[in-house]
Amino acid sequence: MPKYLCMQRNLSGGGSEKPSPTQMQEMYSRFGAWREKFKDNLVDMGGKLGAGRLVTVEPATDGPFVEIKELVGGYMIVSAKSLEEAITVARECPGLVRPGSGVEVIEIHAP
Amino acid sequence: MSTPQLVEHFFRREYGRLVATLCRRVGVHHIEVVEDAVQSALMAALESWTVAGLPDSPSAWLFRVAHNNVVGELRQRSRRRRILEQYAAEDIDTPENDPRVFQAEEVQDDLLRMLFVCCDEAIPMESQLVLALKTLCGFDIREIALRLFTSEASVYKRLSRTRSRLRELPPRLRALTGEQYSSRLLAVNKILYLLFTEGYLSSHAEMAIRRELCNEAIRLASILAEHPVGRTPETFALLALMHLHAARMTARQDRSGGLLLLEEQDRERWDRQQIHVGLDWLAKSAQGDVFSRYHAEAGIAAEHCLAPSFEETRWDKVAECYASLEQIAPSALHKLNRAVAVAEWQGPAAGLAVLEGFEPPTWLAGSYLWAAVLADLHRRCGNAPTARRHRDAAFQTAPTAAVKELLRRRLGKVDSTQCHERAI
Repeated sequence: MPKYLCMQRNLSGGGSEKPSPTQMQEMYSRFGAWREKFKDNLVDMGGKLGAGRLVTVEPATDGPFVEIKELVGGYMIVSAKSLEEAITVARECPGLVRPGSGVEVIEIHAP
Repeated sequence: MSTPQLVEHFFRREYGRLVATLCRRVGVHHIEVVEDAVQSALMAALESWTVAGLPDSPSAWLFRVAHNNVVGELRQRSRRRRILEQYAAEDIDTPENDPRVFQAEEVQDDLLRMLFVCCDEAIPMESQLVLALKTLCGFDIREIALRLFTSEASVYKRLSRTRSRLRELPPRLRALTGEQYSSRLLAVNKILYLLFTEGYLSSHAEMAIRRELCNEAIRLASILAEHPVGRTPETFALLALMHLHAARMTARQDRSGGLLLLEEQDRERWDRQQIHVGLDWLAKSAQGDVFSRYHAEAGIAAEHCLAPSFEETRWDKVAECYASLEQIAPSALHKLNRAVAVAEWQGPAAGLAVLEGFEPPTWLAGSYLWAAVLADLHRRCGNAPTARRHRDAAFQTAPTAAVKELLRRRLGKVDSTQCHERAI
């Protein structure tokens, strides 16, 4: 099955409201249910991304590229029969697609 | 791999525990820093645990992260440096305060200490309640507003005023003296009582929300009753009355959420186990020479719980308890309830006699409770026109559809007996 890279992107216009402990508990169980539902698709849960640096033939620079961490919050790899199925997995992930956050789903071509 | 389950209310409980413990360690005047740090730690846990699974000890994990957040934030506040150094010298290096060593047994102490801090005499009662709901129960502003039937703006205002009051306190929470503990115990009992009645008597439609407030009150009161500072007959009586009421809570509603009169309730649905726990606490409360309002109220609740049927209720005992309650905590509402109990015991005319010549305060005179009881007693005495007048007033002032429906059944009936809604 093809694999897809899902990158969480921070978008503008997100609500700055912090979830309450009660809501966090709900998010935790919804996330558990989502993992259970798509356990066959979830290849690598990935993680959050921190600071990075672009390495080129030019001398290393923090350049504008450091901003990438502002844009991409985290990643994960899913396997799916089609882009559409991968999108479904990502869309149903609690908290991923909401005001202020979106997900980019990109097919990884196997050699 | 599936995500492991967390116990019910895990995040809220951890919130309360962490805020209480960290406030003790760095001082309650840093409560805002502490609350932010705890919020961030819970968020970090949510993000990490959902992906990587639960750590060996989730509580210790959270404590470490929250502790580091607090220390990091305080360190950044350069003008606080001296306080921090003082804190560091006194606390951070001692083994028992090593963030890697998390001691479960100190949690109860910390929660209680926080409860006593909330009950500062300088903080108005409603604000104490809001502060307790926020810091000890882990509800946010929106959730508190929903539970207390008030606006978010008002909750927000109360919280920020209370926090600025706490900022003025001496730097160390442990500065609460033994004297303050005993002088605030009354206020602590009162706040737990309020928390419970908010849940129990509220006309909030959602049973789950009301139940939750009652459970929070019972949880905190249990911690108090098990602790040396709260091991008093009064607190035992308070806990008894909470259990004895909560045991009958489910039976107070019919399947569609409407209220049921005591006489309509299916006594089979009362929680026998919880009644038993309540009676145990009531027995423990019968020591010393203090007879508090909680003793009287628990006594009334116990009479109802022990009565095999509505008709077999020992109304003389109920009336007697209301009389004591009136003496300890004078309130027109207690007189009204006594009238109802006396009417059951010696007939409606005797009930009316209790209220004869009594001028109810405006808040009661304008409420459906007053009008409904008078309507009921007059109808049973055969004073039809007076009964009708009071009945109309009761309908007009009924606060919710559920109460209106209850009044319709109660006052519409020909040979019904009593209206005891407030006391059941």
